[in-house]
Amino acid sequence: MSEIGFLFAGFAVFWAGMFTYLVILQVKIRNLQSQIDLLENIIENHDEV
Amino acid sequence: MNLNNIYELRWKVLPPLAGVAMIGMAALALVTAPTEVIEGDVQRLLYVHLPSALASYFAFSVTAVCSILFLLKRDFKWDSAAQGAAVVGLIFTLLTLITGSLWGKPIWGVYWQWDPRITTTLILFLIFSAYLIARKSSSLDSDKSARFCSIYAIIGFLDIPLIHMSVRWWRTLHPQPIIAKLNPALPDEMLLVTLFSVLAVILVAAWFITLGVETELLSQRLLKLRAIAKINISEKS
Repeated sequence: MSEIGFLFAGFAVFWAGMFTYLVILQVKIRNLQSQIDLLENIIENHDEV
Repeated sequence: MNLNNIYELRWKVLPPLAGVAMIGMAALALVTAPTEVIEGDVQRLLYVHLPSALASYFAFSVTAVCSILFLLKRDFKWDSAAQGAAVVGLIFTLLTLITGSLWGKPIWGVYWQWDPRITTTLILFLIFSAYLIARKSSSLDSDKSARFCSIYAIIGFLDIPLIHMSVRWWRTLHPQPIIAKLNPALPDEMLLVTLFSVLAVILVAAWFITLGVETELLSQRLLKLRAIAKINISEKS
């Protein structure tokens, strides 16, 4: 691999790593939030009954 | 210090700031910064390698401070904050090792060398991987586990000064400090781009830490809600 190839690979890994982590975090937060909303609804309905 | 105020930063302040800074950093690193005479263009990896390393130190510092606060206050939000920051630290340590390896191959002729600085950085990665494995494999609300992991994280953090001093104490392929001294050994243009890159990546790390902490706090909330739901169901039956 040429010098430019190593430079490109380094920057690509850096950007890809950060984007991937950001996407994983977003998906995880969304899933957790939806599970929390669901459970809160279940508990609320249970209390009303 | 109110954690809720920090979370407000996660979508309103940090993302636009970090985004603009990162685009600026890419432009400065790839276009504006002068080409190094001996190493050539591959030296531009400095602008992602060094900031990644400093961002990992920043994240692990947050872990250590939050661990101390947990031990003092026994509030699990600090334990969550420590875990969220530790994940970010691991990501940046991994990026440091990979970008360093890609820089090392054309300059040193090898991807990996058991050089003191590289080895102590790998040890840092392993220390905090073990911290997260230990913390995640026990119950999130286990006080004993949280205490043990907090003490472990504080001790693990001591590897960072060791990494910093490794180039002074042992014979190493890494250069002696070029920025962290009174007269930095970099030309002004390179120094400015380096400092801007460090700022940009630290901003991204700060944003990731707020998101990571939010994830851990939501996990704790979910755990509590599950416990409440279980009690309600058992009361009904």
